Formats: sequence, structure tokens, C-alpha cells
Amino acid sequence: MRTVIKTTPLNSWHRRQGANMADFGGYDMPLWYSSVKDEHLTVLDGAGVFDTSHMAAVTVAGSEAADLLQYCFTNDLNACMGPAKKPLSPGRCVYGAFLDENGHTIDDAIVFYVAADSYMVVINAGMGGAVADHLQHNLGGREAAVTDLSDRLGKMDIQGPAAAKILGGVLADPKTVFAGMPYFSFKGHFDPTSPLADAVRLDDGTPILLSRTGYTGEFGFEMFLAPDKIQRLWERLLEAGHSYDVKPCGLAARDSLRAGAVLPLSHQDIGHWPFINHPWPFALPFTADQTGFTKDFIGRAALEKQTDFSFTHAFAGMDLRKISAGEGSRVIDADGQAIGTVLTCATDMGIGRHDGNIYSVASPDQPEGFKAKGLCCGFVKVDRKLSVGQQVDIADNRRKITVAIVDDIRPHRTARKPMADML
Amino acid sequence: MKAINELNLPEDARYTDDHEWAKKNGDVVRMGISDYAQDQLGDIVFVELPEVGSSFDKGEEFGTVESVKAVSELYMPIGGEVTAINEALADAPELVNSAPYDGGWMMEIKASDPAELEALKSKADYLELLKG
Repeated sequence: MRTVIKTTPLNSWHRRQGANMADFGGYDMPLWYSSVKDEHLTVLDGAGVFDTSHMAAVTVAGSEAADLLQYCFTNDLNACMGPAKKPLSPGRCVYGAFLDENGHTIDDAIVFYVAADSYMVVINAGMGGAVADHLQHNLGGREAAVTDLSDRLGKMDIQGPAAAKILGGVLADPKTVFAGMPYFSFKGHFDPTSPLADAVRLDDGTPILLSRTGYTGEFGFEMFLAPDKIQRLWERLLEAGHSYDVKPCGLAARDSLRAGAVLPLSHQDIGHWPFINHPWPFALPFTADQTGFTKDFIGRAALEKQTDFSFTHAFAGMDLRKISAGEGSRVIDADGQAIGTVLTCATDMGIGRHDGNIYSVASPDQPEGFKAKGLCCGFVKVDRKLSVGQQVDIADNRRKITVAIVDDIRPHRTARKPMADML
Repeated sequence: MKAINELNLPEDARYTDDHEWAKKNGDVVRMGISDYAQDQLGDIVFVELPEVGSSFDKGEEFGTVESVKAVSELYMPIGGEVTAINEALADAPELVNSAPYDGGWMMEIKASDPAELEALKSKADYLELLKG
């Protein structure tokens, strides 16, 4: 048997640019073009475009589609929006995960409520088949059709404070599109036959599904459209964004940006262990007092009587030096005891410490003389609950560094800024 | 990523299988990492070098070079005593990317066996290695 590495519609474009390419999730993807540091920084003060066509999408449609997702997805679709925990409404999307009966993560996902009885589930590279099978397997007689759109849908993201200004230059009607578009909302559709398709069109008439989401912690959009339309949109955004210093960005910048934004990488920061005691409690359907769950779902019983008391915490180092995360890594407490492993250890090049506090190149309150030299950050999984501010050592076979447990990493992120401030 | 024919590989340097270069500089041997190595690593954000005066054998790990993505070991191209380190890399590690053989040099070594330098790969042999 031969494993054939897959490509996205932009593959030859990346190769023509001389991008440093690598296998990610079975796809030949760009890690960086010329400078991962510049790519990371441009998303903090301008904008970057990312090829994300390697990601998978599954649609769930039918009169009992919502019920199927309620049973399989961790978040409560009837109580997930905003502090008031309102039901998910059409045009809104929500983050959560699909778990197995052991409460272990199959994959994390964003569920898009497209229209009555119609949902789209966006998951990670190569996971379309597994998640579609999981939903199919748990149908239990419900009236719902599950369709894996893997490799039939193109996707790219534009992320950074200038994203709307640049995107506006290629939309047919930017003013209408950007009106009333809060964080985790979306408009339009990639299927030209959908009644929603007219809501967002490029100025050449191409319909897209435009979502105010992303994986960088910064303001921006994810865009879903026909694969054969991707390259034109990609090139037009680079052209339209020229004066904003827009750059194509690879997976390395995507990884360091998401680490600084305290976002997990599926199969690395969440995986074959119980999906609980982590920095993403909003992905679980906790009751207001955090003591129980508001709905039944696959994995619930295991999470409620879990015996594997592992805890996942975000950390930030003292400078940019990092260690190699993974199986050979160790977390060591003040008594010298090994208490866990390091899941992610990356360098956010847009931040640094000054008198112990973390500032970003985007921080308006930067102390005088502050220079963002980069900071090591990521996630540890340990056998006990640690508190914010507590210091531990993390080590690989080469070096040991001291890091602090934190509840946030890169300050002054733009993801949630009001749209009006970004136009 | 640079194509093989785009790599800058000076004729007067010698190369190791681990992608370090070494070159005679007066009484000492200057070393760093090759254009191929810096291109593969991407943006260098930190270089950890030993103290002047420390001694290592040929092939021994003496420090690390850190990119945004990963930390990689650095190995001695020849054995000897470290007589100087490039202090400029502390504030400007990106010199390793922009000028791997000039401003981005890493250390100077007093060779314990001058024959070790001659035994390293020539540009032509190193190119063969890169072509696989």
C-alpha cells in the first residue's frame, strides 16, 4: 500500500513561492514562505492569509439533525450563546468537541447553524471521514443525513486587524455584509443553489460562506467556497491587501499565533484522554454553578465519573527559549517531582515580559523601552491542579526552563473587537 | 525553501554531515551553520553558545539553535577550545539567516588536530550529500 499525500487547490501556488512544505494531517502544506516571524507579526498589526483547505467539513441535515448534534457534540446547542446562554440561532456558530464513550476527544469542531434543520460541522484535516462515521453510527433512527464534504470544499482564512478593510475590497457589497456580524457569526453560502448564497458574494459573483472566526486569536474571517474559486480569491486578497502589508502565512505562524491565543491543537492538546479540566470549559455544557451538565451527550458519563485526574494548563515562559514538547518532555514541580508532560511549546514572537508582566506589540499600555523579544508558551498536562502564577519547570533531554501557569497569554488580542472598530 | 542551485556554499569553507561549516581564519577555525541549514530551520530566534575557554571533541554537541518552531543541536565540526563566540548573535540571531558565513558566524575554535578540518567535506562533496 502506498500513502498518497494530498494537496489543496493552492499547492502549486505555495510551491511556486518557494514555501517550506511539510505533511500536516496527510496534506502537503506550507510551514512558512520566507519568514515565520514576519508572518506571525503581520497578523498582529496587519493581516495574513492562510490556506486552510486541508480542513474538513461535514453537513448534517434533516428534521432531527439538531438532536443528533446535541447527542454527539459537547456544547449545548440550546444554551451556548453569550453570557445569557441563549440557544444557537441561524447564522451563529459554536466551538466544542466530539467525544467517544470514554470521554476522549475524537476531534474538536465548530458547529455552524446554517438554517432550519441544516448544520455544517468544521473539523480538522483528515477527520471528515471519522467524524461523519461517528455521527452516522450514532444516528439511532434519527431523521438526519450526514455528508462528508472533505476535498469538495475550498477554505482560506484572512486574519489580522486589517482583515475587513482588505476583504471589503473584493466583496460585492461589503457594507451590508459587515453590518451586524459579531464574533462567531457567519453569512452566505458556498453552494450557488442555496437561498443564502446572495448574502455574501465576491465582486465577480462567486458566493462564499463568510465566518467571523479563526485560529489566531486575532480579528478576521474564515471563508468557504468552491475549490476552483480559491486561487482567484487568494490572489485578489493579496493584491487588495498590498498597502496593508498582507502576507501569505504558513502553518508555523498559525501554530505560534494559536498557542499565544490559548487555543488547543486537536490530537496534541486534546486527544485520547478525558476532555475535562482544561482551559476550554466553555466547550462543555456546564450548569451555571459548574457542578453538572445541562444535557446528555456521548462521553458525559465518563467525564462525570472520571478517575484519570489529569489537568491541562496554559503556561508562559520567562523568555523565548523553549523545549521540545511531546512524550520525552517533563513537567517538574518545586519539589523536583515529575508531574506531567508538555503538550505544546511554541514561541509567540509578538510578546515579551517586562517586570514580569506580558505585553504584546499591539498593547497600548506598553512600558517605555519595551521590545517584544518573543515568549515561550503552550500547554502542560499534569496529574494535579495547578494555580495561576505557580511556577514549574519544563524539561526535555537538553534543557530545563522555568515557566508560570497562566490563564491567558498574548494580551490585547483583536478577535472579539467590535466590527465597527475594524472597518 | 531554496533549491539546491540557489544555495550559497562558499568554496573556501568545509562542511559537516550535520550542516555546520568551518573555515580557517588566521590561527583559529571559524564555524557556523550552512545556508542549507538556516533555510531549513527558518527564522532563528535564539542561539545558545558555550563559554569561551570550554573544550569539545569533534562531533560533540556544544549548543543549540532555536527557530520559532524547534530547537536544534549544534555539533563541533572539529575538536578544540572555543576562543571566541559571536556576541552579536545575542541581540541579532537573525544574522544566522541573513549572513550564515559572515555576520552569522558562531564560534572560533583553536583546533586540537588541524587534520580534522581538512577531513571535512568540500563544497562538491557537501552538494552531493544535499542532493541525496
